[in-house]
Amino acid sequence: MKHKWFVALWVIGLMALMLPPAQAQRVVVIKAWTIGPDNPSVTRFNNLTTAAERLNADLNREGAGFQIRVEGFFDTVGWDSYLRRVLLGFQSSDGPDIVQANGSLAATWADAGFIVAMDGYIPRYRQFADVVPALWDAMKYKGKIWAIPQDTEARPLYFNKTLLKQLGWTDQQIAALPGRLSNGDFTWDDVLATGRDAVQKRVIEAGKGYYHRPVNGPDFIQWYRSFGGRDFDAQSGKLVINKAALLRYYSWLRAGVDGGVIEKDRLNGDWNRYMQPVTDGKVLFFSGGTWQWAEWAQIWVNNKGGEEWLFANFGYGPHPAHVKGGKPITMSNPQAYFVTAGSKNKDLAVRLLAYTTVPDLDAKHAVGSAHLPVLRTTARVINNKFLKEVSYLLNYTTFAPAHPDLSKWQDAVFRGISAVESGQVTPQQGVDLVASEMQRTIRDQVIVE
Amino acid sequence: MAYQAVAEERVGVRPRRAVGRYAAPALFLLPATVLILLFFVLPVLTTLVLSLTDISTVTFRQPKWVGVQNYRELLGDPFIGKIFLNTGRYVVLTLLFNVGIGLALALLSTSIPARFGNQIRALWLLPRILPPVAYVLIWHGLTREAPFGLVSNVLGVSRNWITAEPWSVIILANGLVGASFGMLIFTSAIRSIPQDLFYAAAVDGATTTQTVRRVVLPMLRWPILFVTAYQTLSLLTSFEYILLLTQGGPGFYTTTVWALHAYQLALSNYFGNVQFALGAAMAAVLVVIGIAVSVLYLRVFNFKALVAEPKVEVN
Repeated sequence: MKHKWFVALWVIGLMALMLPPAQAQRVVVIKAWTIGPDNPSVTRFNNLTTAAERLNADLNREGAGFQIRVEGFFDTVGWDSYLRRVLLGFQSSDGPDIVQANGSLAATWADAGFIVAMDGYIPRYRQFADVVPALWDAMKYKGKIWAIPQDTEARPLYFNKTLLKQLGWTDQQIAALPGRLSNGDFTWDDVLATGRDAVQKRVIEAGKGYYHRPVNGPDFIQWYRSFGGRDFDAQSGKLVINKAALLRYYSWLRAGVDGGVIEKDRLNGDWNRYMQPVTDGKVLFFSGGTWQWAEWAQIWVNNKGGEEWLFANFGYGPHPAHVKGGKPITMSNPQAYFVTAGSKNKDLAVRLLAYTTVPDLDAKHAVGSAHLPVLRTTARVINNKFLKEVSYLLNYTTFAPAHPDLSKWQDAVFRGISAVESGQVTPQQGVDLVASEMQRTIRDQVIVE
Repeated sequence: MAYQAVAEERVGVRPRRAVGRYAAPALFLLPATVLILLFFVLPVLTTLVLSLTDISTVTFRQPKWVGVQNYRELLGDPFIGKIFLNTGRYVVLTLLFNVGIGLALALLSTSIPARFGNQIRALWLLPRILPPVAYVLIWHGLTREAPFGLVSNVLGVSRNWITAEPWSVIILANGLVGASFGMLIFTSAIRSIPQDLFYAAAVDGATTTQTVRRVVLPMLRWPILFVTAYQTLSLLTSFEYILLLTQGGPGFYTTTVWALHAYQLALSNYFGNVQFALGAAMAAVLVVIGIAVSVLYLRVFNFKALVAEPKVEVN
């Protein structure tokens, strides 16, 4: 008898196990692909998972009958391999719903039909109303908005305060430098002159008067602009290269190399050879990004006191103009979340992005990775000395032009810089080569003036 | 002979038996054929087809036929001549270094006691077993400015040697890896030369140089052909060390070789609009060059004579 009951209980138990649990819900997977490649930017992915938890709580409250789960990855390898993977992902039926990348990719991806326009979605979520208005401009192409801003940055001209002091500058003079950069009183020529002075007085080694990045990147556009160049014609929607401005820039670089202020081999392709001398305190002026502040603090000068050391030794301002009284400049290359045309859950993906675009997550990313926040509220409430001090740079910021052939334009300008600095060609030859290279590769989509 | 005649007769009369007769060889050839079709013929055809379209990131979904437009564009590139010459320079100089050092190492390491010879060869294999990225990192370290760079410290001239002497660094970095390949093949070939020949040479009073010239080198013709041809083809398509060392720079295509240019056009771009079609056209040209070079080698080294049946049967 006892035995029978036991069997019956077993059967009931087994059947209960086979039934779905009462509150089990359908799970919608949102696939998100993200990239740093700098490690501290991991919040580009983690913020999405945090936002998903909050969205799930609201879905529960609404009785939506389903939950979402964010799957995907954060790439720390590099842009080349990431973008190749993304391209294949766009074509796959099982590709990502959300892709994070440079906002300037909107032009290429919109033309290719890989992404959907956000104009219809943005008014639905109040979170997006708080985004810094200029950032939407950087997401625009052919009159539409193609992405949700994720973060932004500025590219300051840093200077080594300790070295300036050794050169005989007073504390007041050093403190006044950012202001002089901003009002156009301290120009590119002054950077060279100061560098030359420092080399002559043996304050720095030859070639360490001014450092720019060692590899190709968007920064070169801003320097060309600071010498009076324009790269985009809004009327015709074509790219532009101004030979006179490019010649000014190339001649300045050449003069820097000849004067022992800039290294002949500055474009050595190795970031370590930029980071090491800079954080050893051996470089007088150096162009960088705000996000590098976090890298320096967390990795390079961590054993010397981290951020404290940076504040004691480094100063920052916008990049100077080329003539007295000219306009200073910096450039932002905002990161953005794109929603793919192949996504089966576009509405949910945008809603998740709305939950991600909130002050606390924005602040977490900004502080953790030394990027600038995208929300106006965050910018006001954030309690971080460096971010507060560099936020004003956004007043001088510019964006890369939205054009699918931008990379060809950039490659040509970059090759010219490399040739001029290494002494292969004169600045004039460099300019002519760049112009003919652009006419050949970009054809009718570039105006040479 | 009689069997063959009967077989031929049967082929004519009953074709179904012929199928049976060729089934076994066909079966044995099948795996290799499938591999060649999948990994050589098919990619070559795909490359050719792609090179006749305008496929890029923007046109990835709807590529259009453009005929020989891409090839015309290549011809119109003022730097293409330079890139072509760079490729020749890279292949020839690296090859000379590779085969020369490989041969020298094989000769030297087989003429000393095997204990030491083996150790020397093992040492030379180290660069080959290192992952390329780690290997290049070592080169970056060696060639940095003082006080970090070994070369700068030893020479007393502080320079970034990769940008100062890009070609020397590229050829050395490639050659030191490549030499071990020739070294291994040549060593085993030298080991397989019958000892009698060396005795005979010694009895005839041959000096070491004469032995090498008259006995060893003639016996190495086949391995030298193989190593040269193989290395030429792999050098034509290899660019990873150049990419990691100089990225084709400094300046305008200073060290850009054909394969690297194709890679940069077709697969690598910061802002994402990459030109697959133009890269494919470059790759197609490379295939043609590769085939031409192979035919040339077979002619120069008289391949038929090398694979002929031996005139004397040795048992």
